[in-house]
Amino acid sequence: MSTSDTATDAGTWVGRTVPRKEDQRLLRGFGTYIDDVPEPRGTLHLAMLRSPYAHARILSIDTSEAEALDGVVAVVTGADIAELIPPFAADYEKPGFKVSHRSALAPDTVRFVGDGVALVLAENAYIAEDALGLIFADYEPLPSVADVEDALKPDAPRIHADLDDNILIEGGNKTDGFDEVFEAADNILRERFRVNRVAGTAMEPRGCLAVYEKADDSVTLWTGTQVPHLLRVGIARYLGWSESQLRVVAPDVGGGFGPKMYLYPEELLTVAMARQYRSPVKWIEDRLEDFLTTFHARDHVYDVAVAYNNDGTVQAVEVDVLVNSGAYSNYPMGVNLEPFQGPLNMPGPYRFRQFAYTTKGVATNTCSTGAFRGVSAPCVTFAMEGMMDRIARHLGIDRVDVRRRNIVRPDEFPYVNVVNQLYVSGSYVECMDRALEIVDYENYLANQPPERLVDGKYRGIGIAVVTELGGQGAARYKARSLPDLPGFDTAHVELEPNGRILATTSFASQGQGHETTFAQIIADELGVSIGDITIRGGDTENSPFGTGTFASRGAVVAGGAVMRASGDLREKVKKFAAHLLEASADDIVLEDGHAHVQGVREMRVSLYEVARAAYGLTDSMQLPEGEEFGLEAIATYDPPASSISNACHVACVAVDAATGLVEVERYIVVHDCGRVVNPLLVKGQVQGGVAQGLGQALFEEVLYDSDGQLLSATLMDYLVPTALDVPTLEMEHIESPATDNIGGFKGAGEGGVIGALPAIACAVGDALVAFGGNVNRLPLRPDAVLELIEGGNGA
Amino acid sequence: MSAARRDVRITVNGRTYAVSVEPRLLLVDFLRHECGLTGTHVGCAHGVCGACTVVLDGASVRSCLTFAVQADNSEITTVEGLADGESLNALQRAFHENHALQCGYCTPGFLMSLTEFLRETPDPSEAEIRERLSGNLCRCTGYANIVRAVQAAVQEM
Repeated sequence: MSTSDTATDAGTWVGRTVPRKEDQRLLRGFGTYIDDVPEPRGTLHLAMLRSPYAHARILSIDTSEAEALDGVVAVVTGADIAELIPPFAADYEKPGFKVSHRSALAPDTVRFVGDGVALVLAENAYIAEDALGLIFADYEPLPSVADVEDALKPDAPRIHADLDDNILIEGGNKTDGFDEVFEAADNILRERFRVNRVAGTAMEPRGCLAVYEKADDSVTLWTGTQVPHLLRVGIARYLGWSESQLRVVAPDVGGGFGPKMYLYPEELLTVAMARQYRSPVKWIEDRLEDFLTTFHARDHVYDVAVAYNNDGTVQAVEVDVLVNSGAYSNYPMGVNLEPFQGPLNMPGPYRFRQFAYTTKGVATNTCSTGAFRGVSAPCVTFAMEGMMDRIARHLGIDRVDVRRRNIVRPDEFPYVNVVNQLYVSGSYVECMDRALEIVDYENYLANQPPERLVDGKYRGIGIAVVTELGGQGAARYKARSLPDLPGFDTAHVELEPNGRILATTSFASQGQGHETTFAQIIADELGVSIGDITIRGGDTENSPFGTGTFASRGAVVAGGAVMRASGDLREKVKKFAAHLLEASADDIVLEDGHAHVQGVREMRVSLYEVARAAYGLTDSMQLPEGEEFGLEAIATYDPPASSISNACHVACVAVDAATGLVEVERYIVVHDCGRVVNPLLVKGQVQGGVAQGLGQALFEEVLYDSDGQLLSATLMDYLVPTALDVPTLEMEHIESPATDNIGGFKGAGEGGVIGALPAIACAVGDALVAFGGNVNRLPLRPDAVLELIEGGNGA
Repeated sequence: MSAARRDVRITVNGRTYAVSVEPRLLLVDFLRHECGLTGTHVGCAHGVCGACTVVLDGASVRSCLTFAVQADNSEITTVEGLADGESLNALQRAFHENHALQCGYCTPGFLMSLTEFLRETPDPSEAEIRERLSGNLCRCTGYANIVRAVQAAVQEM
């Protein structure tokens, strides 16, 4: 383990701060996002008519006036496309799971405000939107339910009439001997935590362009997705096409964060309409549609009971999880993800050995919920860290000591936690100690008045010790009953005839910097500069099959595939170089774009010369015996387990006593994601993740009223953090390399948001400790904070 | 729906476009579709996120809230007009060196807003920088590196 901010070994690319290759086009305005993909001549623009009701029966739809408008080519309803696009469903075998169906356009019943009812195809987007106003749909409103607990009541309206109740998935488990240990503990503390519904709010809304290829009756779908290969599998399955009839391309994507890893109705509709009308069809979402229909996240309730002894050691934890799943389950995750990932992440860095949970994913008349950075981890960490602070207050022990007595110790790795997660390495204690040193914890406490109030502001400090589950492979996904997630990823690396390197991966990028980090990995394997390497991906036609970009799996899984493929290529290059140099392949070293004989630098050939020989571009045959022409390698990588990163976050907040406004004055992160590929980019991930977590902790909330109407449908109502809200993090890395995956990497995409919810919530709790400090719901907007000050009680 | 078209003459990054447009055509759609300058992005279309910011006669404007006809006889600079051939300008370079962008979708709006800001405020404090940045939303970076980039650009300019 090393503590460092920059390089691991001098002279290697991995570990170095390198500015990104992709910046050049993005800074010039030459990025190609979905709306920038050149539109073929005759492109039809698709607009969606959406339900204004949360739950209603469609009585009639009169499309005649819209159809008569100049420039309108067609108006299509759910009844029209019922055969073209059959209802689709996440369909997998798991006890407690019920299959529910969704139609790309609702044929008879709408189930949330924003559910698609009809579509217009027109010459341009302006006319398409005009035509929406000329469609007259008649509805019979039905009773609706938006709240997850209301949806569980026996008399609740049923979202899917063919199901017995609104529970789409449920499950639970309990360790052997749980009850005895739970009851034998000195104390039991119970709390209910509610975690606000949020919206991913990528700056680029969704969109797609489906181009009909007349020559071979196929469709190319350009779409802002995180998972082009999985989309192709899903669309081909639901439309009954062969996969060769469909090419899915993710161009530059303006932010993913999770919601863009699903198959959406508009993708099926543009593809089906493009083939039906033998024409390119384009749909670009506006911000209102984004808030209405791009999957939301969170909206969980956790009933937690912690049994602990008087020394602060936690003996057993019990949690009942409720997840508002929205109106439909979805491909490729179903509704499996959030309800089961909560319990999976609940133990985090802690060593307790008894755990019981129940979990439910419940349908309501709201937009579907799904993955968003961290999935359930920020929520359960908010709950667990909140409990740690409560235990400390109850026992009169410092919160650091309570954590220290419960977290996995340095001498315990490899450690298998209570839900069978393997922690091969980590730095839980070290990260906490270093973060406390940076904030000067003792000094902070010494200067903190008991009532916390100075100059009209209550000041408090919050500590969160967090784990981040990343880099999952096939075994983990199969164990979690996620059949539509393959788990592996793939890279193809080739030495081009001109001696440069082209690598194509199964990944798609939404700003993570893969063109730079994957190039850093290859550069080390092949002894070249990253300037000599081109990275491509995101196109099912030109890239090998794989899982895609989500759940902090880039460095571990795709990076692992890149490393394997370039390692294989290296061995081939050595054989060709050895042949040219009349040496043994074992003695060949690749460095500075050349292959030379170990210890004899002047005996060398350039990769250009090697490539010329390998591609037969020479005067005479230069093929080593047993080798074939060409220099390329393809490899998959499937990591054996998850990678578990860890961090300690410390937030210092000031709460305005008069207004309730929370300001984050300092924010410290000591972070460990194993071997770091590029410190600049990891820091960027953490800073950006903390900003999103800060948003959820303090401002962001998707709100429905009791009729299921969305109240937070603009960026003036749904507040994402600005530059005035997010402090510059004080950040350090500790490196505990993963020992069970090829690169030693661990995921780094989600830890920021996972730590920010608990750190900020605990800091506000500390600031308001005179009023009980009982923060158990988010966001902590001024009105909620004033409520805590005025009505505060509890523990 | 289609009102009488109007002739406009708009200079964008030094090139003059004389075309006839619908009065309701948004400036951002004019730039993207008539001029083919797709570097200016639409993030919200209601004037909050700032992704569509361009510089119109020296002032930054939201091109999603401006009609093309309002820009008649104006000079506009978009993100495509910042670099000098192959070389990025000082602000673009500082964004690159300080990793002030991730997905890059909001970046053109930040660059254009800052172009006006740094002309008017050549030596800004961090508070002034953050105040200015608060008119643009970025969902990826958490802003710290954008602040650093502006500070670095100021040193260089």
